[in-house]
Amino acid sequence: MGSSLPSVAEQLLKDLQRTYLETKQIPDDLLIAKLRFVFGPCALQALDLVDQRSVTCVSSPSGRDAFQVLGGSGRLYTCFTSCHYCPCPAFSFSVLRRNESLMCKHLLAACLSQAMGLWQQEQVSDQQMTHILSGQTEAST
Amino acid sequence: MADILGVVFRRFASGNVTSDVMFPSHVEGNTLLLLGDVNISRSVLFLAAVTAATDLGLKVLFFTQTPFQSLPVSLRASIPGLKLESLKNVKFVYVKSLEDLREDIASLHELASEAASPSSLIIVDSLDHYLHGSRVGPLQDDLSPVAHVAALLHDTAAFLTQILQSRADGQGLCRVMVSFQSEREGSRDSEALAPELLLSVLDRYLQVRCTLEEVKRDGEVGQNEWQVYLSVVCPSQVQQWHMVLQTGGALEFSPVIGGEQQILDQPDESKQENERCGDG
Repeated sequence: MGSSLPSVAEQLLKDLQRTYLETKQIPDDLLIAKLRFVFGPCALQALDLVDQRSVTCVSSPSGRDAFQVLGGSGRLYTCFTSCHYCPCPAFSFSVLRRNESLMCKHLLAACLSQAMGLWQQEQVSDQQMTHILSGQTEAST
Repeated sequence: MADILGVVFRRFASGNVTSDVMFPSHVEGNTLLLLGDVNISRSVLFLAAVTAATDLGLKVLFFTQTPFQSLPVSLRASIPGLKLESLKNVKFVYVKSLEDLREDIASLHELASEAASPSSLIIVDSLDHYLHGSRVGPLQDDLSPVAHVAALLHDTAAFLTQILQSRADGQGLCRVMVSFQSEREGSRDSEALAPELLLSVLDRYLQVRCTLEEVKRDGEVGQNEWQVYLSVVCPSQVQQWHMVLQTGGALEFSPVIGGEQQILDQPDESKQENERCGDG
């Protein structure tokens, strides 16, 4: 897989992006059904996270940015959407170890947010960004 | 990354080399995993670093746990006329732990705003040593640390590529090269993760694989010869080279004629590969 998804998943995210740009509306039932088919049960959970505005794009003066997703447990996960990584246990087990899922709900939420432009924005310093990227910073509400 | 290895192979080829190390243009080949014995891998990494710095004028970051004191490859034998000032573009960073390695890589963006050009090649020597030193216990999932550092390298390279392209009229690429020894003496205990599992995780984030397989003659190693396999996962392609460590210490490469091939059907690997490539 490398950093790329299967082509059907990539195309679906592009369709979602195009649809949202045109209609400014959350995906209709058909698109949601496709998301569930491709990404599995975590699709609805990911859409819920997007609805709840749980995805934040943190940016620093260097131009570097990263997506942080607030999970249901209150833990904050820093996801890399460029190459598909999330530090949560579900990603480690279902995606990395078992290869059963393409993504976890946090990573999918970040990708969906990116496709639809629906994220909170937060500015941090370059040093704070280093801590976030290296996994040293994790906040819980 | 395959482009730099192509330069290395042609630069240190025995005789004229007409075949190029080329992959289809739609394959992102800027991240590479080097598999092989720790010593020869280190030598190849060093050659790649010096070649990138001298022949291509690239800035190189070389992360390693162990300072270079001696090499099985005599650099001067491989690169006669090498001047020390040519190595000024290679910055060696001696990092002891996985945590320090992650922090150093994560901090590379802090240098991007400086006037000096960011690194175009990031090398990590013996990632397996960093992972082995960081294991936290038998019940802890050990896949996330290796995925994190590999993904961080990939994401950092993507960011630095954007910086390089913004400064060079759309040109410029930041590459990553990571060496990993999948089988280590004494490492196969009951708590160790299967090497295949670790490699499958690394394959997600490092798209090109370069395998150094020592040649055995009459069942014996130590012939100072290796078969070199360059492969990408999607689409499956393999290029084969031959590498010899000469008596004087120099490394020489030669292409294997007819060494380009599609990966043959192997039941387990082809199923996994199809899943990754999204076929069927």
